[in-house]
Amino acid sequence: MLLAPVTAQLVADGDVSTWTGPRVAFWIIGAIVVLGALFTITRKNAVAAVMSLVATFFGLAASYALLSAHFLAALQVLVYAGAIMVLFIFVVMVLNRDEPDRVAWNGVLVKAFIGVPAIVYLVWTLSFYLRQVVPAHPEAPPESFGTVAEVGNLLFTDYLFAFEAVSLLLLIAVIAAVVVARAHKTPDAPPPPVEERHA
Amino acid sequence: MIPIQDFLVLSAVLFAIGVLGVILRRNALIVLMSVELMLNAANLTLVAFGRAHHDSRAHAFAFLVMAVAAAEAAVGLAIVVGIFRSRRSVNVDELTLLKH
Repeated sequence: MLLAPVTAQLVADGDVSTWTGPRVAFWIIGAIVVLGALFTITRKNAVAAVMSLVATFFGLAASYALLSAHFLAALQVLVYAGAIMVLFIFVVMVLNRDEPDRVAWNGVLVKAFIGVPAIVYLVWTLSFYLRQVVPAHPEAPPESFGTVAEVGNLLFTDYLFAFEAVSLLLLIAVIAAVVVARAHKTPDAPPPPVEERHA
Repeated sequence: MIPIQDFLVLSAVLFAIGVLGVILRRNALIVLMSVELMLNAANLTLVAFGRAHHDSRAHAFAFLVMAVAAAEAAVGLAIVVGIFRSRRSVNVDELTLLKH
């Protein structure tokens, strides 16, 4: 009832046919993604920020599914909402500290002086180019699009080198993380004073 | 079908929020989370263009981006833990060791 004028307007625009199920789903998912991201950068409590980030990642997984990228949607949930977020939660639990003033307001005038023109330029450029974007294939993709078989086929043939390089990169990252985060103790160093040990 | 523009605008908004988080927040953990937001915005653009062109190579690219993001998160968090161990703080404004 309340939406009647809105619907009438949409019919007048000849736009109501595009308000199908996926379109409505997109707006719900987009709201989850944007609100989650905003909560992430505004929360004082770091655990709340991580939880909002998980909501954002789930919303992104849903939008990948809307784009027929089923394999990536599953990976997004497994890798981001699963592995990376658990890592973040652990670190937050280890070193959760209250921040006296969480927003860096110093030099905000200079930042605004650079940032506001940058945002105006970004919005202007985006609105200019987005009007020219024409989807090359508006019809539904083939059945195999975005499946594990097709993406895996690409990864193990055309992009085999990149795939192997990434495995090496992950190995380096694991070793680097262990080396950097390890407590530095040399065997011949004198033991730390008692008050430091209990600090 | 959803127009590809919608996804591109969503991705741009997400990226802008990530930039804001990196610039405005002082907690190194929140800064790292904002970097993850920006990486995800880039991924969303890749997948949206892949859908528009019916090209699965975009998915392979996004997969590689995810792996690099995981490595970045691991190393970044390790550095944050290491800094916290020596400085007792994760405030990025206090980390001026390379400045002086």
